[in-house]
Amino acid sequence: MNAAKMHIKYKLILPLVFLLSGIMLYPLIFSAWLSLQDYRLTRINDVQFVGFENFGLIATDSSFLNAMGNTIIFVLSAVTFELVLGLSLALLVQKLVIFRGAIRSILLAPMFITPIAVGLMFRFLLNSEIGIIPFYLLKFGVSIDWFGPELALFSIVLIDVWQWTPFMLLMFLAGLEALPKTPFEAARVDGAGPWLTFISITLPMLRPVIVVAIIIRALDAFKVFEYVFAITRGGPGNSTETIMYYIYQTGFRFFRMGEAAAASILLIIFILLLVILLVNLSRPKVTK
Amino acid sequence: MKKLKLSTAMAALTWATISTSQVAQAGEINIIMEEVPDYDIVAKLTDQFTEQNPGITVNFDAMPFDAMRDKILTSSLAPSATYDVIIIDNPWTDEFARAGFLEPLDKLISGQDGYAYDDFVPALADISKVDGSIYGVPYYNYALGLIVRQDIFDSKGLTIPKTIKDYMSVVKSLTTNDMYGAAMQPQKGYKIMEEWKNWLYANGGELFDDSGNVIINNQAAVDALNQYIETHSQAAPPNSANWGFDEALRSVSSGKAATMLSYNWMLPALNAKGGMSGDLAGNFTLHPVPGGKSVLGLWSWGITSNSDNKDDAWTFISWISSPEVAKQRAIMGGAPVRNSVMNSPEVWEKGYGKAYYSALADILDGSAPLSSGNNAEELIEIVGTELSAAVTGQKSVKEALDAAANGVERAIK
Repeated sequence: MNAAKMHIKYKLILPLVFLLSGIMLYPLIFSAWLSLQDYRLTRINDVQFVGFENFGLIATDSSFLNAMGNTIIFVLSAVTFELVLGLSLALLVQKLVIFRGAIRSILLAPMFITPIAVGLMFRFLLNSEIGIIPFYLLKFGVSIDWFGPELALFSIVLIDVWQWTPFMLLMFLAGLEALPKTPFEAARVDGAGPWLTFISITLPMLRPVIVVAIIIRALDAFKVFEYVFAITRGGPGNSTETIMYYIYQTGFRFFRMGEAAAASILLIIFILLLVILLVNLSRPKVTK
Repeated sequence: MKKLKLSTAMAALTWATISTSQVAQAGEINIIMEEVPDYDIVAKLTDQFTEQNPGITVNFDAMPFDAMRDKILTSSLAPSATYDVIIIDNPWTDEFARAGFLEPLDKLISGQDGYAYDDFVPALADISKVDGSIYGVPYYNYALGLIVRQDIFDSKGLTIPKTIKDYMSVVKSLTTNDMYGAAMQPQKGYKIMEEWKNWLYANGGELFDDSGNVIINNQAAVDALNQYIETHSQAAPPNSANWGFDEALRSVSSGKAATMLSYNWMLPALNAKGGMSGDLAGNFTLHPVPGGKSVLGLWSWGITSNSDNKDDAWTFISWISSPEVAKQRAIMGGAPVRNSVMNSPEVWEKGYGKAYYSALADILDGSAPLSSGNNAEELIEIVGTELSAAVTGQKSVKEALDAAANGVERAIK
């Protein structure tokens, strides 16, 4: 490639670089700067550089550690359920002959509802006083406190699974339909059963799609906020407090922007490491 | 440097800035309000103000509670205020005053003829005083009282409990398979703190001692929390560990619970014919909380220090909170804050009857704010989270209160 072409290439990407710098790089650098200051919104004339003190405060705050733990449990549970359900549904829907379009549309519908509305909807559906689900369960003698300390986080996971399994379904359907037919025909000729075909051909060939789907969903699940805000506010106790709720509360309710920024930076580092790990794990092992 | 810090603060709040409305022009005031029934009354009354003051246009921006603090903060950090008049929840008062967001009102109040500032209930007026200056005048109270199903108490020959132990005994005795003695609100944060603090008062406890030391884990607090948990487990509906105001109110209004500690002004709503209680309307009565000392909440009117229209803002505040308009507001259903209003035969007759206003006067007389001082909002959240953890068995009472004390000490630094 000659120098003139390189020059044009860089010129062409410059607008995007400027745009991304404005909307991503600047907030990131600003957050990093904030995380090193004692910066409270009610004391903006008394901002002081405190070095890594905010990181020390956050790292020793039991609420932060609890929120991080809750978030990791939430992400692992929700993404696992969504992966299994999404893949199962995709395999079923792919085989459908009639009503294929209609069933796809119905299954994808939850994804198009705004999460805060989903949170409010389930808050009322599962409410022990006015909810229709506890009402009918009680008719069968089943009394469940969906937002009690034992089940609240699990209920939030279920809500996320209800809303975001369709995303997995969509990804896997596209992936399945893009797979070449020849290996499957060869397997059938060789007498491989459905399970062996799935394990030995479908899953390995679908691996890049699965990894991308997991990364996208996991990144999104780390940001879980709306369900917690709309339903439990992190309770009972702090059993459903997630990292985004913690950051929101520290920054925008308690006005401690320095500590909220420090928590955000720690979260970014954690997610970055996780993504690197996932990408590395997804690479096919090359035998020499 | 100041400008740089200001601009960075504004950048951090871009999301909020985008959604705020414009700065008021001369002869115009913007007022931020919470969407509650009292706001509707104020909005109706303001037609009279506009007639009397044609040179002042009043613009209301009513919104849910959750959106208010962010909007007030953004407006207060800007060079010119979006909101000239704000309503201030009592936990915010010290924080906003010390941040320089609020205009002191002392001179305006003393220079206002016929304003009768001393007529405000002292417990309410005192909430808006910070370091000797007045930063707000009372708008409406939300003191807690004991609301009971009087028909049930009468049929069982029960008297209204005066102490917390009497209350525990009464609500346990009222609990059967299909009726619960108390609809409680142990939802983490504000709700449980607001309810439990009545129990703390009943046991002689407080958050701080006279020297400012945190005493939220002393014996009185431990006893109060043990009693609260015992009552919740023995007299409250099952699966109610995450209940807030709405659920408790529904439980009482639908006849599933016999008592609740709630805002005094819920009584008229519960007794309204054709209202939420259906056939049970008229059976509810209001009393001071057991123990006699209630948790007090207050919204007050304040003027932002960066408002360009302070004179017009005070003209409106002094009018809406004047004795005459305060009386009209109470008659229309507003929560009273002036003694003259609660003692007015006209208000008794046209409002909700003497019994309600007398009970309210008793409640206010022995009340104290939920929390005050710097970072009160954070303090409430910290303590409320630990209380919830104890009620749901995630922590022992002592562990939860020790954690609350540590959290409060960290928050008030």
